[in-house]
Amino acid sequence: MLRMGKNDHETIRAVLSGDKEAYGALVVRHSHSLLRVAFRITGNEADAEDVVQEAFLRGYQKLEGFESRSNFSTWIYRIAVRCALDKVSGRKPDAHSSQVSEENDPEQDAVQVADKGAGPDRLLLSAEIRALQQAAMQSLTATEQTAFVLRHMEDCSTEEIGAALGIAPNAAKQAVFRAVHKMRSRLSTLRVSI
Amino acid sequence: MKHLTEEELIGRYYQERVGEGEDCAGVNEHIAACETCAEAYAALAWDLGEVKVIEAPARDEAYGESVWAALEPKLVAHKKGRWSWLGGGVVMRGLSYAAVCGLVAAGAFYAGRLWEQKQTHVVVAQAPAPKPKPRVVVVVLSDHLDRSERLLVELKHVDAGSTEMVSPLRDEAKSLLAANKICRQKASQEDDPALTTALDRLDHVLDGLANQPGGLNSAAIARLQEQMNADGLLFEVRVLRSRIPEERGAGTNRANGGTI
Repeated sequence: MLRMGKNDHETIRAVLSGDKEAYGALVVRHSHSLLRVAFRITGNEADAEDVVQEAFLRGYQKLEGFESRSNFSTWIYRIAVRCALDKVSGRKPDAHSSQVSEENDPEQDAVQVADKGAGPDRLLLSAEIRALQQAAMQSLTATEQTAFVLRHMEDCSTEEIGAALGIAPNAAKQAVFRAVHKMRSRLSTLRVSI
Repeated sequence: MKHLTEEELIGRYYQERVGEGEDCAGVNEHIAACETCAEAYAALAWDLGEVKVIEAPARDEAYGESVWAALEPKLVAHKKGRWSWLGGGVVMRGLSYAAVCGLVAAGAFYAGRLWEQKQTHVVVAQAPAPKPKPRVVVVVLSDHLDRSERLLVELKHVDAGSTEMVSPLRDEAKSLLAANKICRQKASQEDDPALTTALDRLDHVLDGLANQPGGLNSAAIARLQEQMNADGLLFEVRVLRSRIPEERGAGTNRANGGTI
């Protein structure tokens, strides 16, 4: 039975005093937010669940280094982002095997979208749009993809992105810009076909 | 007019999304005044607006507990009281390092002290013994110079015609002559050129007094007086005598007398 009710700092104190079970409360408390960001970065449910497990495991092992003035949710969130980045980095060699080619070929792209989205109800083709978006995301590098997710979907500031990725804020900002540029290039086919 | 870059437009888009659009007032003013940039921004906003936020798969409330159930077997309990929580780990590690550094410093200091003491003993043990002073017994030399000085004073003022005065001079000269030879020889061995030279001249005078062929007549005494004065022998003997008290004070055992 997991004990709830204590705040994160009290729980961490108990864990470091040898109460392993107390860590369960932290896991329960923060699992959903970690799964959310992990899924957004990895785009894969199984990978996202692996990331959540790995993040909590790393967090437990590094808990002695956790500084009391920090916020545990922010701390474990950053660990999860790193785990997700590692996961994405490991599979990025396959990133360019997506159906959307690297070059922006209007004719080919037009066919890809127009074939499935022709007709007056094209605005309802959210599945195709998501597929195109996913393909565009996969064209990004692991860092660009993670930075874009954190900026566009998690509303993180460039400072927060830099801290999560272990890079300077300006480097995080540049990663976001490159990601947006590539995404727009990919999604321009959508604009043409619609 | 210089148009806005894509980076500036992207920055403005995300700032506006989080309610910080007023932070880029310059960009806003430009967009309001520049139709080209306004169109570019609208296109950007449309493109990014099409990038939908990915929704994570739905999980029930028990999801966290299922994560914990899978995770718990992999965890090993932290050691009780190993570190205190409020930064205690850092503090304890710092104190540990400080203690180790202190022990190392103390050990080095103690080893240094031992080494220094050992070196001192070695130096003391290996220091060469002070070179012994000349083994001319100072008391004997002092007495010899005293007697020689008195003899030279008497010689300086002797009445060459008085047999009563010449005879004791000759006897005293004979008495001093043997001691003078030994002192001179010793001074020569001890590499004391001043003393050697003085005793050498004294030897000539003593020899002239003691062994004057035909006896000490007035002419012989006058010649010896002249020789003594020319050499400044009396003065030289007095100077040598003045050195004796210093050497006697420097040596403690020498004052007890001894052999030459």
